[in-house]
Amino acid sequence: MPKTLVIPSSFDMITRVINHVDGFILGIKNLSVNLPFYMDNIEEIIGYIKKHNKEIFVSVNKNIHNDDLEILRDTLIKLDKLGVTGVMYYDASVVNIKRELGLDLDLVWAQEHMTTNYLTSNYWNSFGAKYMFVSNEVTVDEIVEMSQKSNAQLMVQLFGYIPIFSSRRHLITNYLKTFELEESSNYLIEKEGKSYSIVDDNNGTTVYSANILNGFEEYLNLKNNNISYVVLNSYKIEEEKFIKVLEIINDMNESNIESCVYKIDAMFDNVDRGFLYTETVYKVKNNE
Amino acid sequence: MNKIVRKPELLAPAGDLERLRIAIKYGADAVYLGGIQFGLRANAINFTMDDLREGVEFAHSYNKKVYVTVNIVLHNKEIDGLVDYLKELEQVNVDAIIVSDPAIIKLAREYTNLEIHLSTQQSCLNVESAKFFKSEGVSRIVLGRETTKEDIQMILDNVNVEIETFIHGAMCASYSGRCVLSNFLTARDSNRGGCSQICRWDFDLKNENGYYFKGEKPFTFCTKDLSLLKHLPEMIDMGIASFKLEGRMRSVYYVATIVSVYRKVIDEYCSNPTGFEYNEEYEKVLRNCANRDSVPQFFNNIYDENCQYYNGRVEISNQDFLAIVLDYDDENQEAILEQRNYFKQGDTVEFFGPNTNTIAFTIDKIIDENGEQIEIVRHPRQVVRIPINIMLEKDCMMRIKR
Repeated sequence: MPKTLVIPSSFDMITRVINHVDGFILGIKNLSVNLPFYMDNIEEIIGYIKKHNKEIFVSVNKNIHNDDLEILRDTLIKLDKLGVTGVMYYDASVVNIKRELGLDLDLVWAQEHMTTNYLTSNYWNSFGAKYMFVSNEVTVDEIVEMSQKSNAQLMVQLFGYIPIFSSRRHLITNYLKTFELEESSNYLIEKEGKSYSIVDDNNGTTVYSANILNGFEEYLNLKNNNISYVVLNSYKIEEEKFIKVLEIINDMNESNIESCVYKIDAMFDNVDRGFLYTETVYKVKNNE
Repeated sequence: MNKIVRKPELLAPAGDLERLRIAIKYGADAVYLGGIQFGLRANAINFTMDDLREGVEFAHSYNKKVYVTVNIVLHNKEIDGLVDYLKELEQVNVDAIIVSDPAIIKLAREYTNLEIHLSTQQSCLNVESAKFFKSEGVSRIVLGRETTKEDIQMILDNVNVEIETFIHGAMCASYSGRCVLSNFLTARDSNRGGCSQICRWDFDLKNENGYYFKGEKPFTFCTKDLSLLKHLPEMIDMGIASFKLEGRMRSVYYVATIVSVYRKVIDEYCSNPTGFEYNEEYEKVLRNCANRDSVPQFFNNIYDENCQYYNGRVEISNQDFLAIVLDYDDENQEAILEQRNYFKQGDTVEFFGPNTNTIAFTIDKIIDENGEQIEIVRHPRQVVRIPINIMLEKDCMMRIKR
């Protein structure tokens, strides 16, 4: 069976779900983006999870600027010593520093919307990317083909909101300042009846999908095609409901999968299947 | 005395053969364009292999270069055709390919001798990333648009690779490659050339309690354009190899205008760095040509509210461009023009061209194709003659004088 990885929203959540999961994807202050929780006490949290024999992937998925390089170097050395399962990276600086310092860290190619094919996966695999966190903008058929042709172990998000926009700019702050509006929190942008969570923090601005992905109807297909990990993102999901989802998938098997998927769907009023069955188009004109 | 380390290349967009020719004639040192596959402007006209061959021959006849974008975010199904495509590009004799996916870099190195530039889509923003891609064989890195002057300098100081930076044009509101708004709102893949520019849409902004934040204009991601005209001298001093102009979807007039302005500033500064004086007129020309405000963006590390563009989706359509010169009739001393926007007898206009400095002129007389005198040229692409005793070269542009 694929292992279950959770993107937690707090340390408290880690402690509550640790017995339902195989591991966690954790953010780290100053080096991660688009995550609901960033560790500030790395040793303590990693120590806790390791004590429970769970896997730990640390997401260093920020666009790295020169100012970040020193802390990046120190952090990679620290993570190497702590023995995390893998480090997820967006920027090639992570790969270069690992190589230059001769670190043993296993890497996860996690370039968010660009992890879309097996060829590039195999390229990064030759630099130590033992894993690949598959983009949410690919179909299930593409995932299966990647699994068959990629040397890396695949991680696929099957539940939760999806980050769909990431900017260095502070777009909410800029808007409120321009029109002299008072600050608030927990912002949403609305278009055509759908609401998208938008977060403006130290890293810039992130927008999340309007709908919650529930891709568990492909769980067995992915299992049969040797997908190593399924990922559940807890961002903006009520904790009790999130735990319920974990309980449902832990009980899932070939005979009850349909009802499990239905149960998850029924818990929320904004669930969809993402792009698992929908290929996005990119050419609207013929071009001979 | 300022020392020019290298005179930078001026790199212009070429959406099609016409714009390629215009860009070259107006002073670009190189152009970049997309083939019909593997580029990021799938909805631009783009170049077939025959177009490309013709464009490369034209550019090389002027001793200029052609770079082809192969910067799509690859999906499985595109992998099979890649090597053949790269080999074809090599056969056509393009000067470099612009690539974001490192697997394509590897293939290009294995199967061709193509020169490889790293696309801005890879968002290379730091020394370590630049070192990595240099070690992978790229000869040039197009830096991410979020780099500051200090970032660029640090990379130049620490990595022996050519650096290319954007100096003019539209900006993504996001980090390149980190926006799939288009995928989620319109099912068009932004990272494969289908971007539907959701960043320019209006949205209602509210909080989870249902309170709406209503400014005078609605919330949008939209940013002002980039212009680094004022900063060119310091950028030249830094030793940046190539200055890139954005806009493969823009008009011939836009291409001609921005290329000619930046050409002049680069040449004026490089020929006399100590005596160089910034000419506000050039800025005015760029402003009149664009329909959006522009700022230096991240170069000076300011990306605050003054970089945002709240316009309620209203953008002024630029109607400065009146006509292009098709030919000049020496015998009758008449310019033969093709109309691009409404103009009329009595208008005061300006001509500018590849080798023609700006000429102000008032239109006294207009003659249509039947030899009849007319007062107004209102039909798109209408061909007319105007008497003018200054010989105008083909491809001169006529714009309204402001």
